[in-house]
Formats: sequence, C-alpha cells, structure tokens
Amino acid sequence: MQWIPEYKGDVPRVERFNFLSRFTHWGHTVTFLLCLFTGLALFLDSADWLAAIFGGFHGAGLVHRIAAVAMTIVVVIFVIGNFKVVIAWIKDILRFGKNDIIFIMLFPLEFLGFKVKVPPQTKFNGGEKGNSMITPTAVIFLILSGYIMWVPSIFPAGLVRLAYPIHDISMVLATMMVCMHGYLGSFHPGSGESFWGMWKGTVREDWAEHHHKTWYDETYGDKASGE
Amino acid sequence: MAKMTNLYDVSKCTACRGCQVACKDWNQLPAVIEPFKGNYQTHEDTNGDTFTIVKFIEGEDPVDGVYWNFIKYQCMHCSDPACMSVCPQGAYSKTSWGATYHDPEKCIGCQYCTYACPFEIPKYRAREDKITKCTLCVDRVEEGLTPACARTCPTGALKFGERDELLQIAEERAKFLRANGFPRATIYGKVELGGLNKLYVLTDTPDKFDLPLDPKVPGQITFWQNWVQPYFGWLIPIALGGSAISFVTTRILANKNGDHTEGGHE
Repeated sequence: MQWIPEYKGDVPRVERFNFLSRFTHWGHTVTFLLCLFTGLALFLDSADWLAAIFGGFHGAGLVHRIAAVAMTIVVVIFVIGNFKVVIAWIKDILRFGKNDIIFIMLFPLEFLGFKVKVPPQTKFNGGEKGNSMITPTAVIFLILSGYIMWVPSIFPAGLVRLAYPIHDISMVLATMMVCMHGYLGSFHPGSGESFWGMWKGTVREDWAEHHHKTWYDETYGDKASGE
Repeated sequence: MAKMTNLYDVSKCTACRGCQVACKDWNQLPAVIEPFKGNYQTHEDTNGDTFTIVKFIEGEDPVDGVYWNFIKYQCMHCSDPACMSVCPQGAYSKTSWGATYHDPEKCIGCQYCTYACPFEIPKYRAREDKITKCTLCVDRVEEGLTPACARTCPTGALKFGERDELLQIAEERAKFLRANGFPRATIYGKVELGGLNKLYVLTDTPDKFDLPLDPKVPGQITFWQNWVQPYFGWLIPIALGGSAISFVTTRILANKNGDHTEGGHE
C-alpha cells in the first residue's frame, strides 16, 4: 500500500510554494502541535499523562508559552517577509465562487474515494479556501486570547473572561482543520502531489494543470502574464 | 456535618483590623505595604499575601447624606463555588462543614478561578506561581479551634459556629437593628448564590458595603464551562475519525477499481 505518491524529479515541475512559505508552514506546524499537546493537558481537565511528557503541568505551561511565542514569531515572519504571497493568498481566498461551491459539495464523495468531476480550481480549491479562512482566523484569536490569559492583570476582567471560551473554541476549530489538513495533505490519495508542493516547493506540471487548472493557466500556461 | 461558618456583624465592628493581623499571623503571610490612598483602608483588595481586609467605604446618599462604612471582606465560601468548577486541576474542594479549600500543591497558577469568582477573591501569588485565598482556617477548625479572625475579634463582631444557629442570631440582630435606627439593615449570604458559607449582618443595603446585590458567576464563564468545554471538543475526534474512515475507504475503492495511479478527481 502506498502512503504518499513517490516524488518524481525527472518530470517537468512547477513551483507552488516559495521557501519562506514552506519554512513558516513547517515552523507553524511544530509550534502549533507543541502548543496543542501542552494545552490539551489542561483542556482535557487534568490529563496527567499528557503533562508528564513535558515534565508535569509547570513544564507543559512553560513549553506552551515558549512555543506560543515561537509561533507568534513564525506568523509575523510569514506575514512581513512574505507580504506579496500573503496578499496573493488573500486575493485567492476572495475569489471564492461557483467552482469552489461545486468543489465543496462534491468533496465528501472525493474524500471517501469516489471519482468525481471537479470544475477548474484556482491556486487553492474550495476546501483549501475554507481552511485558509478558518485556520488563520482561529490562530489569530488563539494568539490574542493567549496573551490576554498570560498576563490577565493588565487587561479588563471582562476581556479575560471572554478570552477563555475564545481560546478553547479557536483551538478546537483550528485543531479540527489541522487534522483534516494533515490527512488531506499527505495520505489522502486524491491529494497526490500536494505534500511535495509544501515539502520540496514544486509539484508535477501535469498534476498542477489537472488539480488547479485556473491557477496553472494563469501562472504557467497560456494566460501567464509577462513570463 | 453541620455547616460551620463565621457571622460578621458590621454593627459591632470597630474596624480595628485585628482580624487582618490575626489572619496574617496564623497563615504566616508577609506584610504587603501599599501606598496611602487617602483613606484608612490598608489594601486596595485582597492579594496573594492578604486573605482578608477591612474595607472602608465612603459615600454620599441623596437622602441620608454622607456615610462611612467598613466591612471585613474575604472568600465567601460559596456552596457551589465557581472556582472549584473551573479549576482544571481539582485544586479546590469543599470540606464537609462548608469551607472552600484551595490546595496549593495542586495549583498550577492558571488563574481561571480568579476570573470565575463572582467576588474575584482568589488571588495570584507571583513568587510561587500559585493562587491563594482564605481557607476559613481549615487547619484550625478541624482541630476544634475557631478561625484566627473570629478568635481575635475583640467586639464580638465575628462569631464562629454552626450556620443554622448563626442565621437565627443574624435574623434577630437584623430585626433589632431595623427597629433601632437602621431601617435598611439586612442579612447577606443567606440566599445569595444559593447561600454563602459566610454570613453578614449589614446596617444598610449590600451595595453600600461594596457587595454585589445579586452576585452571579459571569456569563462568559458559564458559557465556557457548560457548553464549550464539555461539547465543543468533540469536533476534534470527529475530524480524526473521518480521516481514518476516508483512509480506509479511499484505498478500498482504489483497489476495487484496479486504479493504481495517484488517483484524484477526473
């Protein structure tokens, strides 16, 4: 059984994600997961076994804070250092239209492995657009509410009280998306080259054309401007 | 066991702050020196090293004119404490006789309790990264002694005993005060939050003593505890389970179709 498709270096490939995007993506992965597992120790009400991995609740709290600061830095590096990419990403999300809705409606079938005919997608398909909306929003809320909970005494009490449910809701939404995203970006057969796009930065040209026709045409195909 | 508590009769209190000192002494709490704020109150609020304070409240009533009240303030030892329900470590417990006890050994300093408490009583002690608050002198009471504050009170304003008996005394005292120059005299702690394990006889309405008229656990906290915490997290196992199902079905369907390419939609 094949887990993820083999990386083929000898076929034409096109760039999907630049170095900074990939670096911050995996930096975010590591820091997010560290925050998640240290935080779950509290969310699950006394998950002692989970806290024990980090040396008890004080250790878990320390790791949580260090990882949270690192995560904030990673997000800031991504937004500032990759500003053009961020703008292009947001613009792509805002192109959410008919083809994306069709994609999302057909997605449950594709998710389970049925073959479906999907209309041309932009750089991010309907599902990826959804993830691109929910996860970053949740992470921004996580970061803001997290710092409020870290130093509650300098904030109004009402805001601190609001930060608790916001932190939990954002965590659950982000984690739910991360579970799906992690699976769809790797072991789901329909995703094919996506993993290599984020790991090596390039995807097979035919896959790009097949899965993200609009993006491929606009960037590398006939409609590519000035390249 | 019968509920044991303190009855504090504000009409007998001279604000000598002996209770404050006795509390510091018994609980071995270091002095906290706060700058002079223009009144007699020693501390703005209870803090990590001050479990009880005497508040001095100055105000002006449109009818009665200027008033000057004092009141001993500390943990109210609620019967269904919000601090206990939010604590992720189970550091809080109720003793059989009604004290809300906080175990510093279990505390991890998350401060959820501070913001869940309708009175914001649990306070953060930064040097130990722990929460502290009044224990109702659990260690003394369980050895048959009275709490340090009640024992030291020279005027009898603080009385320790069984809650039912103290409630009767409080009712009588409030009735007496109402008939003798304090028409708004009332009891606090009898019904508030389902009955506090702390009783007050007040010479005026609770708001004149800086006490909330209708104390409530903040709505954000109940929403968080009763809805978000128990139910919302299930989205995560659902996402994981869905992925696991997909992992199996995609491969079954691929084998059935004899499809060994990288798959995907056509």
